[in-house]
Amino acid sequence: MPRRRIYNPLTELLAAVLLVVLVLVVDRWEFSLAVLLLGVLPAVLLSGRPRQIGLVIALVAGPLLLSSLLLHGLFFPEGTTVLADLGVARVTVEGLTFAALMGLRMTVFTAVLLTAAATLDLPDLLATMTHRGWNRKLVFVVGSAVGLIPHVAERAHRITRAQQARGLVVGRGPLSRMRALLTVLTPLVIGLLVDASERTRMLEARGFSSPGPRSSYLPDSDTPRQRRTRRAMVAAVGVFSAAWLVGAP
Amino acid sequence: MIALDSTRFTYDDGAPLLAGVALTVAAGDHVVVAGASGSGKTTLARLLAGMTGADAGSSFTGAITLGAETVRFRGTPGDPRIDPARWSARVAYVAQGAWGQLSMMSSTVAEEIAFGPANRGMPAQELRRAVDDVAAALHLTPLLGRDPRRLSGGQLQRTVIAAAVIQQPEVLVLDEPFQGLDDAAARDVAAALEALRRNGTGVVVCAPLLPSHAPQGARVLALADGRRVFEGPLTEARRAGLRRFGIGTQGEPLRLGDDVVPAPVGPAGPELVAVHDLRFRYPRERGAAGPPAGLTGVDLSVVAGEVVALRGPNGSGKSTLLQHLNGLSRADSGSVTSGGVRIGRQPTGALAATVGYLFQDTDSQLFERTVLREVSYGPRAAGMRKDDAARRALLALDALGLGEFAGAHPYELGFVQRRMVALASLMATGPVVWALDEPTAGLDEPARTLLAGVLARHARGGGCVLMATHDAVFADAVAHRSVWLDGGRISPEGATPR
Amino acid sequence: MSSSLTLASDPAVRRPRRLLIVLGAALIAATYVFLVVVQPAEIAGGVGSTASLVSLFGFLGGGALLVGGILPMLSTSSLVIMPLGIALNIAIGQIAGSLGMQIYLDAIGTVLVAVLAGPAAGAATGAISNAVWGLFNPLALPFAAGAALIGLLAGLAARYGAFRRVYFAPVAGLVVGAVGGLVAAPVAVFMFGAAGTFGTNAIIAVFRSMGDKLLVAATKQGLLSDSLDKIVVFVIVALIVYALPPRAVRQFPFARTYRVLGTRTGTGTGSADGGTAGMSATGSSTGDAADSRRTPTRGNDAGVA
Repeated sequence: MPRRRIYNPLTELLAAVLLVVLVLVVDRWEFSLAVLLLGVLPAVLLSGRPRQIGLVIALVAGPLLLSSLLLHGLFFPEGTTVLADLGVARVTVEGLTFAALMGLRMTVFTAVLLTAAATLDLPDLLATMTHRGWNRKLVFVVGSAVGLIPHVAERAHRITRAQQARGLVVGRGPLSRMRALLTVLTPLVIGLLVDASERTRMLEARGFSSPGPRSSYLPDSDTPRQRRTRRAMVAAVGVFSAAWLVGAP
Repeated sequence: MIALDSTRFTYDDGAPLLAGVALTVAAGDHVVVAGASGSGKTTLARLLAGMTGADAGSSFTGAITLGAETVRFRGTPGDPRIDPARWSARVAYVAQGAWGQLSMMSSTVAEEIAFGPANRGMPAQELRRAVDDVAAALHLTPLLGRDPRRLSGGQLQRTVIAAAVIQQPEVLVLDEPFQGLDDAAARDVAAALEALRRNGTGVVVCAPLLPSHAPQGARVLALADGRRVFEGPLTEARRAGLRRFGIGTQGEPLRLGDDVVPAPVGPAGPELVAVHDLRFRYPRERGAAGPPAGLTGVDLSVVAGEVVALRGPNGSGKSTLLQHLNGLSRADSGSVTSGGVRIGRQPTGALAATVGYLFQDTDSQLFERTVLREVSYGPRAAGMRKDDAARRALLALDALGLGEFAGAHPYELGFVQRRMVALASLMATGPVVWALDEPTAGLDEPARTLLAGVLARHARGGGCVLMATHDAVFADAVAHRSVWLDGGRISPEGATPR
Repeated sequence: MSSSLTLASDPAVRRPRRLLIVLGAALIAATYVFLVVVQPAEIAGGVGSTASLVSLFGFLGGGALLVGGILPMLSTSSLVIMPLGIALNIAIGQIAGSLGMQIYLDAIGTVLVAVLAGPAAGAATGAISNAVWGLFNPLALPFAAGAALIGLLAGLAARYGAFRRVYFAPVAGLVVGAVGGLVAAPVAVFMFGAAGTFGTNAIIAVFRSMGDKLLVAATKQGLLSDSLDKIVVFVIVALIVYALPPRAVRQFPFARTYRVLGTRTGTGTGSADGGTAGMSATGSSTGDAADSRRTPTRGNDAGVA
């Protein structure tokens, strides 16, 4: 079960974004590490499903870290302190340092945002956007896209099975793969467009083009205090960043 | 309360439809618009729903009266344009296929139902009251918190109806609302419609068959080739001989020629399908309430010349068993042999020439830009030369009466014809074992009769057919025997040897 | 006949918020110029905070302004296929990414929307797509402006006939991909040190081993991978839209007005019962701003198929 929500999702998302901004502004590995260990780690542990979130972070950041380490660790022509010369590739201290610093930044970036996103109550976020009077088209596009993703994946799976039953065998060559991709994508897109044309009509019939603000069935979990807090957070981070960047050489 | 008077409706340069067709629906009416595929009933439903547009090359001449107001159309670009939002508040329309009518942005059924009024800015409290009222009327209250994208067919259909009628329209128009539903789900939907009708909503249902049950006083408007062929009470319609217009009655036995009645099968025929102690469990999915039953020790033998119906409630394992015949699902234990091939690790695609599988959802497989190319795909994939494949395809199309559509785009055809195209592409590949999942769902009377003939011919020619079906009438008429499944095993007491 | 049930004969054209669009485009362009002209020296020494801040805010903010400017002008029929394009992008992109391929295939949905509904809808789809993807994979977030550019260019290419013949599509893909690669490279470098999949990194490694600077190597890799990727994507989308039923294409005013598919969008025969695939030419009571300039044959858009 997800943890009980304390803050409105908009507030949480903003806090995560501002934290990322701070990490970029401060740009010290000590600070990044501190955010990771003192901010993200407790949040993940308290989220109620630490294993899933940890796994997602590892899956997103892991391959990136590894490939970045290989790239900069082995190929960093600017590096001067050579640890090992492997002919084409050279392991340099500068390269490894660069890879480590970039890796840390990427990890903080993904970990902070993914933790916020994974604990995000999307319906609540959409409801908040509606209550705050955001553009209804934006709310629709975002909400409908997120709702469609699992549907699209499931439908693609079904179509793949149907095509296999008709004799589709995916070969190894790129042309065979592309042909297989098309035999799945075409019915997928046609089916989605058929739905979309019906949905267009439905939206018109349900008054989606009505002027004036939309209302939401879900209650508003936002409060004036949280709104003030959000403004204060933005202002504080803004002032701090300006001071830091001007003060730093 | 709503009166449609259609002088003419034409698509592109096609023949005029709905010439001289008129329909009036008053409060508390129940009208069935019956007609075979291509009869114009969808067009009629859309006209009632206010979709008269001259776009896509179509033009409408006639008038629609809603309440005290009459809107006239001359089939010219200067015609009035109906405001869909205001019109739908008085005439609700539920199109065929529920998926396209979900906004996809609602996480609960309640939000989906509230979508329309929320767009118009109805305050939250009123919104809740309106949703609760309509949910109570349609028996949806226990489902209000569910994800609309994870409902069964009947629940989904009722959700879409609720979302359409929350504005309390005077008339509700539905296009084939029972398509693809099993009996229990269809009863639920029918009960929901009856609840609305008793509250004074005029209900118009478009369907390929005359219903077996309908509220007292139900009227029928029967269409054939875009013309009215009957109008009057349902009781009279059943006696009016509408069969000649391709309009049958639900639950009434098929009328088949002698050559279509199942031919006797010799016991010594070669065994084409052999299933021994088949066990299969679905992997547990995260978040799912519980996987379907799977199969627990199924034995089945089907010989050449046999047509076997697999029957039983939803989730009893009918489709799962069929899917083992061509390797779409692989047994956990036990053995499956079909068409003389032992199903092992070979790719499903390699079995297509031996076992043909017709999916319940036709539209997940059509992908070519002409019907001919579509039907040629199977034989081509089986390794046939291009012209050979095309010849086989044309033969299959002719057998199903689709020859004239060879050059058309599959999606320009109606539902019934698309279903037949899918069957043709199975036939053209030439498999000896046919595995058909709900082959009659959504078919009209002529197509059902045609299908029965095709199945009988295939069996006589030395093939065999297994079909999972809810359609008792069709199974009784066409199959040599029925095999009943329940909870993933064959239930002996239900078996009905002939 | 004055009626409460019909629409006014002359629909009000929904105007784009030009100021927002101009501001957004200017911000993205300025960000790019800043990154390439002012900052290239910094990356060799350290990871650079200003550059990453600028690329994050410039490209994300620019993308947000663009979306804010474009959305009000979109018709319902354009709007409805945008989620579809986004879902396709993400579903296919995730698969391609998890397979470690050298190409991304994460713009099929964007290009599809751009071809059917025009450059504005394409740009918005690209930008929102990466924003939504950011919920599953935050690393996609900073590339939002690049994705918007792809959508915009694909739409323009479609408008000027790149999808009328199947052999034009790869040429357009090559050009669009090259531009996209140029724009994406600095983001990848300044935000993430050019880390990507193993496939893309291998290409960068080759250029690095020849002594190129990171930005140069990443740009060359971007030019290579993105061009190849967009060639494949454009061809795939072209083949998909050719296989679409003509009626499905005609429901989009953009595709109709500019004859995006050439003669392929000719007349089709209608069937009385469209069935589930009743491709109704519904919706859009007003056309996209793109075609309001040329007054397409709109007539009555609330259609029946």
